[in-house]
Amino acid sequence: MKKKYSLFPGCLMPTEQYAYELSIRETLPLLGVELVDVEGFSCCGEPMKSVNQLLTVYLSARNLAIAEKHHLDVFAPCAMCHLALTECQHILEENPAMKERINGMLAAEGLQYTVKRQVVHTVDLLYDQVGIEKIKEHVKKPLNGLKIAAHYGCHIIRPSEIGRPDDSENPQKIEAILKVLGAEPVNYPQKLDCCGAPLLANLPESALTKTGQKLQAIQEQGIQGMVDVCPWCHKMFDSRQTKAGETVAAKLDVPVLYLTQLLGLAMGISGEKLGLELNLSPVEKLQLGDVK
Amino acid sequence: MSIIDLTSMGEPQSDLRKELNDRLTKLQDEISDYCFQCAKCTSGCESHKLLELEPHKIVALLKRGLLNELVNSDVIWTCMTCLKCRERCPQRVAPVEILFALKNMAVASGKQIPGKYTGMLQSILSMGLIQDIQQTTTRTNKTLKRDELGLPPLSKPIDVVKFQAGIMKIAMEKV
Amino acid sequence: MRRIGVFVCHCGINIAQTVDVEALSEYASHLNGVVVAKHYKYMCSDVGATLIKDTIKEFKLDGVVIASCSPRMHEHTFRRVANDGGVNPYRVEISNIREQCSWAHSNKEQATEKAKYLVRSAVSKALSLEPLKPSTLKVIPEALVIGGGIAGIQTSLDLADDGFKVHLVEREPSIGGHMAQLDKTFPTLDCSSCILTPKMMEVANHENIELLSYSEVASIEGSIGNYTVKIRKKPRYVDVDKCTGCGDCATACRLKDRIVSEFNQGMGKRGAAYMPFPQAVPLKYVIDDKKCLFLTKGKCGDEPLCKKACAPGAINFDQKEEIIERKVGAIVVATGYDVMDPTAVYEYGYEVSPDVITTLEMERLISSSGPTKGEILRPSNQQKPKSVTFILCVGSRDETQCTWCCRIGCMTALKQVYLLREKLGEDVEINVCYNDLRSFGKGYEEFYRKVRGLHTNMFRGRPSEVRTMKEYLKIDIFDTTTNKLFEIKTDMVVLVPAMMPRTDATEFARLLHLTLSGDGFFLEAHPKLRPVDTFVNGIFIAGCCQAPKDIQDTVSQASAAASRAATILSQEELEIDPLIAMVDEDVCTGCGICVEVCPYEARTLNERKRIAEVNDALCTGCGGCIAACPSNASIHKNFTKKQLLNMVDDIM
Repeated sequence: MKKKYSLFPGCLMPTEQYAYELSIRETLPLLGVELVDVEGFSCCGEPMKSVNQLLTVYLSARNLAIAEKHHLDVFAPCAMCHLALTECQHILEENPAMKERINGMLAAEGLQYTVKRQVVHTVDLLYDQVGIEKIKEHVKKPLNGLKIAAHYGCHIIRPSEIGRPDDSENPQKIEAILKVLGAEPVNYPQKLDCCGAPLLANLPESALTKTGQKLQAIQEQGIQGMVDVCPWCHKMFDSRQTKAGETVAAKLDVPVLYLTQLLGLAMGISGEKLGLELNLSPVEKLQLGDVK
Repeated sequence: MSIIDLTSMGEPQSDLRKELNDRLTKLQDEISDYCFQCAKCTSGCESHKLLELEPHKIVALLKRGLLNELVNSDVIWTCMTCLKCRERCPQRVAPVEILFALKNMAVASGKQIPGKYTGMLQSILSMGLIQDIQQTTTRTNKTLKRDELGLPPLSKPIDVVKFQAGIMKIAMEKV
Repeated sequence: MRRIGVFVCHCGINIAQTVDVEALSEYASHLNGVVVAKHYKYMCSDVGATLIKDTIKEFKLDGVVIASCSPRMHEHTFRRVANDGGVNPYRVEISNIREQCSWAHSNKEQATEKAKYLVRSAVSKALSLEPLKPSTLKVIPEALVIGGGIAGIQTSLDLADDGFKVHLVEREPSIGGHMAQLDKTFPTLDCSSCILTPKMMEVANHENIELLSYSEVASIEGSIGNYTVKIRKKPRYVDVDKCTGCGDCATACRLKDRIVSEFNQGMGKRGAAYMPFPQAVPLKYVIDDKKCLFLTKGKCGDEPLCKKACAPGAINFDQKEEIIERKVGAIVVATGYDVMDPTAVYEYGYEVSPDVITTLEMERLISSSGPTKGEILRPSNQQKPKSVTFILCVGSRDETQCTWCCRIGCMTALKQVYLLREKLGEDVEINVCYNDLRSFGKGYEEFYRKVRGLHTNMFRGRPSEVRTMKEYLKIDIFDTTTNKLFEIKTDMVVLVPAMMPRTDATEFARLLHLTLSGDGFFLEAHPKLRPVDTFVNGIFIAGCCQAPKDIQDTVSQASAAASRAATILSQEELEIDPLIAMVDEDVCTGCGICVEVCPYEARTLNERKRIAEVNDALCTGCGGCIAACPSNASIHKNFTKKQLLNMVDDIM
């Protein structure tokens, strides 16, 4: 059965983290997922949570209402977006007064939030909706035991009480996917640590130190590369890796890919189509396909 | 009768405490009163080692009603929002949510918003997203934009005026 | 020729890693009189026991030496094993090569040498051990319970329901103890008197219980199975058979409302003729002979008004103290605790301000049967307080006062916070100054959580002092959760005082030959395995006289003590350990020194024969008379001078 989702791009992925979007658009349709582009989405509101939480709830509700208008479930590839949307659903379902209030405001744009639609992230979409078996069928170039660290990102595993794509303390879905791609997922003690991105807005130095510390730990453990599943995390680990290295006085050279990029490579898709040229970390070290 | 913090000669701000508790109850059903100061939050706080954030202390001060001190502090802006404190609290207290509420109160009270938050907010107001399409650099130092990669047009609010009206309305309201 | 078997235990590695058990066994097998020696991993196990029994039969042994742990651990076990194998159980000698050798040393060679000496001397003693037979004693199937608090009440009811006659002695005019003073109990908030009163009534009406209130134990003689108890009945000056409990005497008393009420912790007043509390059992009035004008001054106006008022003529000023005697087979001590006098921690102002009270006093304020009918009023002005502050651990966990935790203070304070919030409403500020919050019982932690949700200001720290200001009380407290010094201005301070042994615990322990632990509470025979036994056979302890505890634990312990007592009372006869003193009648000169030194009154002088005798039932085998006897006529069976000297010779 074909799965159909509205692709909720958020802010960061469609405005700078193009590699994630490219690799998603390349891989998922081949695995039987239909992605529908919907007009009119806005920021999920999560980046504004420190400023005004009500704005966060409002923006998320607005985006959910747009999807609802098109009778579509939502695929949010960004961990922050996924948390904002899920938490918004949680609040509106638990608090009828809030739901009424928000709907009152949404009416101005002709929108309504009424039903809780499914909101998925890349990890549960691949693991629970597509399924390991189906992915296995599409693996054409297995990854030959590449030692890979999985970085989940805080927002897709916590807080568990509102339901997250994977377990909060022992997430294993990315590892399961990596295994089926022929890679060797490596367990490392820093797995659940933050990338630092939420501090970018006001304390960028500290944010990068956090990034640097995690990458350094991975490097010291001789792990060959890292995959992530969030544009914010990727921005830190890949796009800003050199800068992050400076904060911890280390020369970092950890290849970092989006999980969907690695998936695409294993499926035999070219690095170019998967946006590999946009990765700034030394992905060539992995010697995969046509990656230079 | 009364409790006074002899260091600052401040009295607890029970009205502010009530406001914050209301806020939390509406959004997270969170009751900070239950905190018994085990400090598991601070033990695992991603920001603690770098920026000296002590979530358990934040909760202690909140319980004591010393809200002004918290709202006016810079330390509330050091939270990385990793959510470990909320996930692991044995009493279901969520320091991260308390911090969000404190930051909101700081903003509402007219305090200067640090960093790029204002810029992001303005961008949302004007086009719906925290930033517009960026030029990115490739491994071979080429610069590229979204359309050059064959990606479809950006999804963003169609009627910006209506969208702005909604946001302005929110800005006037309290949680 | 004797035939001794030696059995060396490895005790897992406890012995074997420091003592060469094989070498020891080999050594022992060559000792004079030894026909076989064996070693095994766990001699106390079933396999070990079978090994001993089989060896006894195979080698026709008539004596056994076990080289193992302390006789305190397994002497009893091995005696039984030997008996099953066909050797007289008193022909078993334990050589303690664990506590006295392997645990004490690290050099294996030297430890093995020492073990050889120890085993050699044990063998020499085993060679001269006499076969003994225990004598028997008839058990009196009645019990004495001392103390009529919830512990004594529970023990009495359990034993009475088991069919044993119980004599319950309570020194106050009514049973009920501290529990009767409480309003509600944590964590379930059951009304204390609602759950206690039915039990008190049951005590009063139970056909197997003789309630001796306003009475004290004067002396105890005898031993397990057969104690003679003298009880001092204090005069009530009220004939309990005639008193109807109407209260006319109390209403008439000239001193009405002029004497501090003990039951109300000084928060209320009573007269000289009084009933301690409305639900008292027995429901009989009493006249306070220390306060009554007629009893102290011989004159109460023209005539005592109480006597005039009493229609049934129950007032009797001629009553005298009476000593009665009861015979019992077992005794349960449940004499409870005292609350520490908070003036000991003077800095908290208990003596300075009437608004500084204890939790027990607060309990009387909260109670609807208390002096304020349950209204919370500030003692200094009888107004509703706007702020109440609790200070926990007053005198507890304090090297200068009571080193221990009172185990009920935290929960008592939390319970009172809950009740105060209920009675005083949301507007009243409630502060709690605590060190650790110990909420360890079933449902306690949940209760603590509930109280945290009641806008309770919890300060983690111990105030240094309470200052009595003109209009309020002032407390400075450094709160370690915020690392800040706070000043609390409050209307009332509730101190949570330590729980202490009764002031007369030492004296009482001497009366019963009980041992006290370092803290002054009665010592149990083993903290884990014999928690309600004492070192005196047939005497058990329950409740707070053993250590501070809450009502739940007290009741459990009371039932445990009843059950332990019933184990004795349900037997018709008891075996008496034969390892006690005896008299060599040919040598005894009848000097009587042994009679003087015996702490158990087991030695008497036979005037006719001019010799001293031993009462087997009373002798505990302590050895006091043996050491004291100038003519070596007092002999401890199987610990004779000859036997012991042989052992010493073998070691030297």
